[in-house]
Amino acid sequence: MAELSFPLPDLGEGLIEATVLEWLVAPGDQVERNQPLVEVETTKSAVELPSPQAGKVVRIHGGPGEKINVGEPLIVFEVPDDTAGIVGTVPKEEAPKRRVRLSAVLDED
Amino acid sequence: MSSPTLESGTATTAAATVTMSMQQALNRALDEVLAENPKAVIFGEDCGRLGGVFRITDGLQARHGAQRVFDTPLAESGILGMSVGLAMAGFHPIPEVQFDGFAYPAINQIVCQIARMNYRSRGTLPMPITLRVPSFGGIRAPEHHGESLEALFAHVPGLKVVSPSNPHEAYHLLKHAATRPDPVIFMEPKSRYWQKGEVDIANPGSPEGAKVMREGRHLTLVAWGAMVARCLQVAELAAEDGIEIEVLDLRWLKPIDAAALAASVGKTRRAVVVHEAPLTSGLGAEVAQLITQACFDTLKAPVERVTGFDVPYPSGDLEDEYIPNIDRILFGIQRVLEYKRG
Repeated sequence: MAELSFPLPDLGEGLIEATVLEWLVAPGDQVERNQPLVEVETTKSAVELPSPQAGKVVRIHGGPGEKINVGEPLIVFEVPDDTAGIVGTVPKEEAPKRRVRLSAVLDED
Repeated sequence: MSSPTLESGTATTAAATVTMSMQQALNRALDEVLAENPKAVIFGEDCGRLGGVFRITDGLQARHGAQRVFDTPLAESGILGMSVGLAMAGFHPIPEVQFDGFAYPAINQIVCQIARMNYRSRGTLPMPITLRVPSFGGIRAPEHHGESLEALFAHVPGLKVVSPSNPHEAYHLLKHAATRPDPVIFMEPKSRYWQKGEVDIANPGSPEGAKVMREGRHLTLVAWGAMVARCLQVAELAAEDGIEIEVLDLRWLKPIDAAALAASVGKTRRAVVVHEAPLTSGLGAEVAQLITQACFDTLKAPVERVTGFDVPYPSGDLEDEYIPNIDRILFGIQRVLEYKRG
């Protein structure tokens, strides 16, 4: 298993920080992609941040009321080592299937 | 990920065989190359901090420093242009082009500089560059992420081209390529990155030429990269029908091991070459000609080619229809088996 850190993204128009309002997940939780992770407040609005990926939550950074700067760690996931790269999916290893059978009269000269 | 063993001259070769994925095999090979050659440097898009989009350079920056493993701007022409300068200055660059289709913006540097500099400078400026290119299809990725450029590279004098088919080959061929004085295009079959296999660390076997992966007497399947595993499956199925197939992993696509083709097909007298790249002017034509040249008198049938189609590489949903599948390869074999001289 590998750890993957997700930093607080720029939530729009050059904001530099956000305040954690409420965590919606806890360490140990298995989360799905796009599942709401945390509610944060910026100088513009309060927003829920969706998870960028599926994985198990290892650590969360910042309790309610604490400020996090854009680019600093927000949450750390545990992901399997064999997940695909950023592009594409891991091909499934399947038992070979066939519809064609071979037939031949082989003269063994 | 296991750390490399670097003690030389150890008496025992215990646990010399390790089971790992091709990802891990490549990562370990690069780790060892960096440790063994102080002039080796690795760079490319996301190769540094992230460890590569396929994790091939994972942990290398932390272990060897940001001077030797680093990120580049998103500019392939610059990645390869910088490789030329570093090679001139005595380094051994190991650049990565993140995906096959991203090599196109760098073609000028590869063809006009890297391939020719040694020749142009009468041997005073060799280009020991190992260009890693995650290649071929099979991972349901978008455009530019599933292409097979071997024929393009093989056509350029001055370049060598190699593609491993399993973790053992990946580990040893990359270590070999990264010690060559010549530019080598190292095509990694990305659909095979995650499959595990045994790597015999101490016994590489010959790093040159082709390799027989399964012996047979009725027909030779010639393949490279990800198609080798598929051809081995086909050989297994053909055996159920009483047809014994030899699978030859070409490995080096430039230079091609003509002697190995002659030896195998000289024995089996029938051949099918399989590749993902489009048919027309694909490397299958070169392979067919080399076989025909050597085995014309004893061939039982014209060499068949089972390949991708003459279309731009399709989107992920259509990939299974494009890449030679088991049935298409079996049909190719059947055409050869039932050929009658007119």
